[in-house]
Amino acid sequence: MKFSYNWLAEHIDGLTVPPAEIGKLITMKTAECEGVEAHGAHFDHVVVAKVLTAEPIPGTHLAVTSVDTGRYGVKQVVCGAPNCRAGMLTAYVPPGHLGVTTAKLRGVDSDGMLASAKELGISAEDEGIIEFAEGEPGAAIAGCTADTIVEIDNKSLTHRPDLWGHHGMAREVAAIAGRPLKSIPADLPEGAPAVEIEIRDAKLCPRFSALRFENVTVQPSPLWLQQRLESVGLNPINNIVDVTNYLMAELAQPMHAYDAAKLQGGKIIVRVAEEGEPCPALNGQTYTLDSSNLVIADAGGPVGIAGVIGGGPSAISDATTTILLEAANFHAASIRKTSTKLKLRTDASMRFEKSQDPVNTVRALARAKWLLEQVSPGIRLVGGLADLYYPLPEVAPISFDLSWMRRKLGKPDLTAAEVTAILTSIAFGVSEADGHFTVTVPSWRATKDISLKDDLVEEVGRMIGYGNLTPVPPLVPSVVPPLPPERAYLRGLRQLLTAQGYTEVYNYSFVNEAQATELGLPIEDHVRVVNPIAQGQELLRTSLLPNIKRNINDNAREYESFRMFEIGKEIHARGQELPEEIPHLAAVSFERHGDGVANLFELKRLAGTIAPSCTVEPAEARPFEHPFRSAKVILRNEAIGRLFEFHPAMVETGRAAVLDLDLVKVQALRTAAGKYKPLRRFPTSAFDLTVPTAERELAGTVLGFIREHAGSLALDVRYLYDYKGDKGRSMTFRITLGAPDRTLTGDEVTAIRSQLLAAVAAKYQ
Amino acid sequence: MIETQLSELAAATEARIAAVTTADELEAIRVEVLGRKGKLAEVSKDMGKLSPEQRGVVGKLLNAAKQTLENALTARKTAFEQAALAARLDREWVDLTAPAPGVGLGSLHPLTQIQAEIEDLFVSLGFTVLDGPEVETEFNNFDALNIPPDHPARDMQDTFWLSNGHLLRTHTSPVQVRGMKKLGPPLRMIAPGRVFRNEEVDASHEHTFYQLEGMMVDKDVSVAHLIYFMKTLLSAIFKRDVTVRLRPGYFPFVEPGFELDIQCLICNGAGCPVCKQSGWVELLPCGLVHPNVLRLGGIDPEEYSGFAFGLGLTRLVMMRYAIDDIRQLQGGDLRFLTQF
Ligand SMILES: [Zn+2]
Repeated sequence: MKFSYNWLAEHIDGLTVPPAEIGKLITMKTAECEGVEAHGAHFDHVVVAKVLTAEPIPGTHLAVTSVDTGRYGVKQVVCGAPNCRAGMLTAYVPPGHLGVTTAKLRGVDSDGMLASAKELGISAEDEGIIEFAEGEPGAAIAGCTADTIVEIDNKSLTHRPDLWGHHGMAREVAAIAGRPLKSIPADLPEGAPAVEIEIRDAKLCPRFSALRFENVTVQPSPLWLQQRLESVGLNPINNIVDVTNYLMAELAQPMHAYDAAKLQGGKIIVRVAEEGEPCPALNGQTYTLDSSNLVIADAGGPVGIAGVIGGGPSAISDATTTILLEAANFHAASIRKTSTKLKLRTDASMRFEKSQDPVNTVRALARAKWLLEQVSPGIRLVGGLADLYYPLPEVAPISFDLSWMRRKLGKPDLTAAEVTAILTSIAFGVSEADGHFTVTVPSWRATKDISLKDDLVEEVGRMIGYGNLTPVPPLVPSVVPPLPPERAYLRGLRQLLTAQGYTEVYNYSFVNEAQATELGLPIEDHVRVVNPIAQGQELLRTSLLPNIKRNINDNAREYESFRMFEIGKEIHARGQELPEEIPHLAAVSFERHGDGVANLFELKRLAGTIAPSCTVEPAEARPFEHPFRSAKVILRNEAIGRLFEFHPAMVETGRAAVLDLDLVKVQALRTAAGKYKPLRRFPTSAFDLTVPTAERELAGTVLGFIREHAGSLALDVRYLYDYKGDKGRSMTFRITLGAPDRTLTGDEVTAIRSQLLAAVAAKYQ
Repeated sequence: MIETQLSELAAATEARIAAVTTADELEAIRVEVLGRKGKLAEVSKDMGKLSPEQRGVVGKLLNAAKQTLENALTARKTAFEQAALAARLDREWVDLTAPAPGVGLGSLHPLTQIQAEIEDLFVSLGFTVLDGPEVETEFNNFDALNIPPDHPARDMQDTFWLSNGHLLRTHTSPVQVRGMKKLGPPLRMIAPGRVFRNEEVDASHEHTFYQLEGMMVDKDVSVAHLIYFMKTLLSAIFKRDVTVRLRPGYFPFVEPGFELDIQCLICNGAGCPVCKQSGWVELLPCGLVHPNVLRLGGIDPEEYSGFAFGLGLTRLVMMRYAIDDIRQLQGGDLRFLTQF
């Protein structure tokens, strides 16, 4: 929202704060100022000029003119405007302003410029140079002045309906500067209501006020009005529409002017739209409405979408001679819903959705009447005010004690007089006795902004200035915070992984459908994003692997080998419940060359360091896995994850081994160190055993068999090596025997060995 | 006779020992002369033929010759061994400037690092670290934080809506309500985590970023406490004394709400391009917890009050490492990630 300094100053008695400082004051006390900019500084130098002669330059559309500029003398200026002619009064810009320099055009000297309204920053009009009906050469452009524009961040005005107009902001500035705010009268002549009003739902429309005027002349607004609108980013259109926009920017009250001759029947009805009811709007679009939209209707149907946009057919035109001027109040959420649904955010809807003050409508109409009489000479009010008003429930006076306010702010020396002065300066009604306050809220702060004593802490605090509070260390009990074990675990795991050479990546929680399909992850298992704005954000990941696969292929272009990992959440749908979020680890070891076996075993070893005593069991390969290189990782008989190599079709440039672990399971199944076991005191004996096996026998299976048959005195069974020769494959194991209380005899060892040999022979020969 | 024989043998053998060039030759001499069937042994065999007097004299001579020859042999042998060792060590020359084989250290993501650092700081101040889900209910993300449906404040946070009616949390603030219910007053908690905004991505905007929510609830927590705390905390984070200021800011879940600015660390307040010549950099939103939010967390706002703040971890990482493209943080490019 843009604010004009001059406009603010008109509302404050004796404002002396210079324009350059006002932005900072507003930022510190009220709302965030995004910038302060000079506007129309050239009006101090631009003058009315009379064109004395205008001779076409042959072969061009240009004319060489001689102009009387009064103050600057008679100047020769080259001008290309179609309306440039001898005798006219226009605006002369001397060199040095608006980028104008002394120049030669088509070989002709030109000293300055004759300017259009657009070039002057008065309106969007650029058909020709501006033309004045009257004025003395050398005089300033009447009504146009240098100004300073203060731009305030709209987000910081979300809770302040009153600050969407200059008068409200002027109240803040007046309070900050310690100057009185000028009041705006709301008096209107008595008379019979000029139109009948019906409101079908008072919650959606608490107030509808209107005036009717006749003998209207629709014409361009005076320059001061045009420049003012232009300076705050509103386009001048015609005097009637400009008045409504002016008041919106001044009092934050959106208004609408109807061509009264185009309204059917003698009644205005505020109602919800019928299903599928069309409404042609003044932006040329026709909107199809439903019962969630509120409309202003006449006997013929909707003539406007309430609080959002006026209707097309009843819009003001050059032929308009009577108008109905509306100033209404609408329910904020309803307006917001409609403007969101229609994707139509207007200056009006933006204000109404902040909960505007219903008290404001009549004051805006009174101000409009005063303004219309200036900009449309001869205009006459017909009858009196039409006003249907269902007052909102009043906000009860707010009570608090001075001691409470002191504690909230942390300012023990705050006085009752200070609090009273501050709240009064921003129009709260204050009564105070013995430090007990009762505060009434002005109507423009009562719609949503302020209802609790806590809300008043902000009013007092910001006006004192938070920089005037002395920082105080909080007194808190000293307790050791419980460290959540999951966080400590994940932190340790990350350290372990980096110590083993893995670098951490972060991926998005999103995957796209193509990624899920490629890995054979069922689309319907995913939680879906309903309103993604970019591609690639349709689904929430049920696996870290789609993005990991992308990381592998991206980095494979740069590195011959790399190791990386991600710890992130898989998100699994659970119907209407919140989905299950399971932290997973995905670790990758990639080599461009080689057979990939070492990478797989490296990750197997990694699994063993993360989940000691885990085992690996071949598993049916998923479509994206190498069909003969995939396995489940098992800990205490439960699958905790997967070890595999990506299928060559997925990673074409090399071998990528992956370890994917469910970290909830890993943590749950992990065991802490138990009681200490005394160290062995008697020597052990060991022997090696070679087992002939089938070509694809699993070492793990044979090891398990030997363990099972080696008896209770076998302390350790260990795989030593594998041999593949002419006679087939064999594996060699070392079995270590021992007893806790004695040294085993040679006979005992031999007996165990023979028994084991027999069992192995029976199974494997 | 024997004496002559002995001395000749000893002298000849000594000469041969001195002349050998290999350890094998030396061993051959040892066997030939000093072995069980060697020449000295043969000499001693002949001693039986001598008279006892002669035997005593010859015996002494024999032992002396044996001792001399053994010493000579040992000395030579040691010399050969030392030469062999020296030769082996020489062969074992290694170029230690060559790169070490095997795997080097990996690196932690910069966000992990800064998060751990800040978590530790808070834990040292008695804060509990809590976690919350990425997918939240509309109620927890908005309504419980005093942002009802159709409240214009919802516009501040473009939201990813999900097929199950829930949403991706737009801030870590929902953990406030979870934390109040879990811990009860008085409490100190932080909740770092991933949050989402439905925005177009460019060098300075991301749809996925990291925040850290903090909250302290106790009796009589005031704005003055908040200012002290934030100044202390931010000085620890930036590892230097920082100047902070509060100004009004609107966030429905706090009342009053503030924008906290720090004095620009580049120009120390004099004005520079980083702070847009203002001398101040907007850093974080904070405020006193709104009584409605306390109530929803099961805490009586008449008895307790609290402050809350939201720290942008992504922003801190970018400030610390002068990262100019936010997309790199989640781009998975090891050329970027291995720098940290
Ligand atoms: Zn700076």
